[in-house]
This record gives sequence, structure tokens and C-alpha cells, in this order.
Amino acid sequence: MPTIPEPRLEKIPVDVAVRMPANFQEFVHTEDVLGKSKQTIHLGSSNANFFRQLFGYMFDSVVVLGPDDDARDYQFDALIEPSIEGFEFSTPNQTQSQDYSVWIRYRLNVFDRVGTRASSWTVSAYGKSQKEGITGGDSLRRAAVLAMRDAAALIIMQMDNVSKIRQLADGPLDPAAAEPETQVAGASPQDDDEAPASVIGVFAIGGIDDVAQ
Amino acid sequence: MLRSSVVTILAVLALGGCVTSHVEDARETVTGLKEGESVVIMAKSYHAGNETESDYITCVEKALRGGSKGINVVPHQRFVDELFPWFEPRTVPADTKGLPILMDRPGVKQAVAKLGVRYIVWLDGDTERVAEGGSLSCAAGPGGGGCFGFAWWQNDADYEATVWDLDDFESAGSVTADVSGTSFLPALVVPIPLIARTQTKACKGLANQLRSFIVQ
Repeated sequence: MPTIPEPRLEKIPVDVAVRMPANFQEFVHTEDVLGKSKQTIHLGSSNANFFRQLFGYMFDSVVVLGPDDDARDYQFDALIEPSIEGFEFSTPNQTQSQDYSVWIRYRLNVFDRVGTRASSWTVSAYGKSQKEGITGGDSLRRAAVLAMRDAAALIIMQMDNVSKIRQLADGPLDPAAAEPETQVAGASPQDDDEAPASVIGVFAIGGIDDVAQ
Repeated sequence: MLRSSVVTILAVLALGGCVTSHVEDARETVTGLKEGESVVIMAKSYHAGNETESDYITCVEKALRGGSKGINVVPHQRFVDELFPWFEPRTVPADTKGLPILMDRPGVKQAVAKLGVRYIVWLDGDTERVAEGGSLSCAAGPGGGGCFGFAWWQNDADYEATVWDLDDFESAGSVTADVSGTSFLPALVVPIPLIARTQTKACKGLANQLRSFIVQ
């Protein structure tokens, strides 16, 4: 089980709930690779463990909700819904190098305590590991762990500024100030396809290229 | 018979390819290492395109620690973990100007003091195959097998180590190692590899110079 070290930071004084999607408990990604029929990476419950640990370090208190739990049964200032929007990897055969690379694109939706969406944030993370051993399976897994650490670094550095989650400790958002197309926590995934005008995009490999509000 | 075979094998192992190396330093400030102070060897960020091999970092760490003049080296993974997330590839300070801000972050100064790290050494560079040629073919049958031909290849190892002094938040200077090695593989029934240990030579050369640079 990959873990992240305890970060050097000051906790954000917010009580959060985190709703883990079902695929965070057993994440498997398969890709057709040139020269091989298929290559599969099993991350198991790494994503669930990763976000549980990360938010535990970042916030005053964290309660973890399952995919079917009703958020109204819990007390919190903010609800965070992480999800994986994209997962890609490359192998040494593809890049003519000695490296395995992994790209993970997470989306973090943040809601206030009454379910109004406060922000929606894309985090693009990258990890690279040199080939070791014959099959390279461990190297690929290590690249994935490094991508998660990269995501953690970005979330720690930027979450407070980008999502304004700290303000949610003072109470729910003013509905008049909320974007009209703001989604509600627990809405079906189909309803969630359109990002609101307040969506914040951070698309970065090696830096933040675009932060728009 | 056995004795002559052993002598032949030892002779082959003693042979190697041709290696030329050039190691030099450029000093900016006075350095020195007090009792209990350590260094940490880090690779520059791969987000910035750096390709330094992890086994090269390990080699430099071992070479600096080893011998009667060995110095204290904190394993780089331990340093990165203790200071998470401020030395991840995405977050490492790009230059010494970022060090005062970094040290003011919660717990960073204390973690650095606990580890006793005085210098951060940033490694940049890699070992690449720059040329190769010749041909070698091998065949095997019921009566035996063998190889015939001649192959060669050239590896270039170019590394730069930049030394940051955490006491003064400034760059102390840099050490560079530029090593070129050509390996040969002649084969007349049995292939005889004459391997140039280019990366190892670059590791030991850089580590020796780095130790002299830091300790003075």
C-alpha cells in the first residue's frame, strides 16, 4: 500500500467529508501497448488510501463517506469528491527510453455543507521511474506512486487558494453569489458533465499553466 | 589447465575499454564541514527534463561516504520524505533565492537541522550511448557454437553537481565530470568483452572532487 509521508504544513481549520468513488477501492487500468497485446496496472485501493491520508494531514478533521452514503447524515463544513478523469502511462518501448511514465488527472469537486458546489478543480500529475527488472511492473507501479505524490504536492500547495475551502468553515455559500449552473452534491454523474463558469482548471506537468476563475 | 584458465579469465577481467575523463570544479564561496554536519545528494527535477539515473545518485552517495575520508551523507529519499512536499520534482526550489522562503515554511528548518544537512548537492546530467559500430554474429549447432566479429560502442557521461550551502542560502559552486568511454567486443569463437565503465568512472571522479570541494 503506497503511503505519502507526513507533510510539513499547517492544517486548514475546516472539517471535511470525503466521498470516495467506487473505483477508488479497486482501480485497474489497461492499455494497448505497441509490441504487447495489453499492459495492465493494478492500483487496488491506493487512490482511496492516498486521499484519506492526504486530507487527514491537511484538514482539522476528515470523515470518509462511501459512494452510497447520504452526506446529510454527517456533520462537516465542506464535502470533497475526488475522481479520476484520466489515467495514461508510457513504457520504455513506446518512448525509446529507460523510463516508465504515468499521468493521472484527478478532479476535485468541493461542496459546502448544504450541497452547493464551491469549486471544481482538475489536478494533472506526472510520475516517472526508470526501468528496473525484466518485466518493469514494479517500475510502472513506482511511476504511479510518484504521480500520486506529485498530485499531493500540487493539492497541498494550491488547494486553499484555488478552492477557497477555508471560507466554508464560516458557513455555506450565499446562494445568490453561487453560479446558477452550480451542481449539487450527490447529483448523478450525468448531471455533472458540464462544468460551471466558476470551474478552475489547473493543467500542469511541471507547473501550473492555467488558472482561470 | 585449470590454472591457465583462471589466469586467462582474470586477465580478461582486468582489461577494459578506453576511458578519458575530465573533472573540474568552480568555487564561488568558502566551504567546510563541521562535526555532525551532512550533505544530501539530489537529482534535479525530471519536470525540468533532467534524466540523472537513480543508480548514479546512489553511487555518488556511497562514494562520498566510503573510505577513511568519508563524509556524512543523508540518503536522498529520507531527506525528500522528511521535507515532503517541498522537495518533490514539482516543488523543488529552482535556485537559492527560494531557500529563505522554503526555510520559513512550517517545520522545514527544524527537519533540516534534525538531519544535520549543511549542503544540498544537485546532480544534473546522464550517461548516453553516442556511437556504436562493427558487427558480431553467433551460431550454435549440435557440435558446439561460437561467435565471430567485432563490435564497439562509445558512452559519454556528463554530470554537473551544484552545491548549495544551507547556512548562507547561497550557491557554493559546482563540480563537473565529463567522461567518455569506448567498449570493445572482439569475438573469435569466444567473445571477449572489454567494457569501459564510463558511468562508474564519472561517479568516482565526481565524488572525489566533490568531497575535496566540500571539505577543502
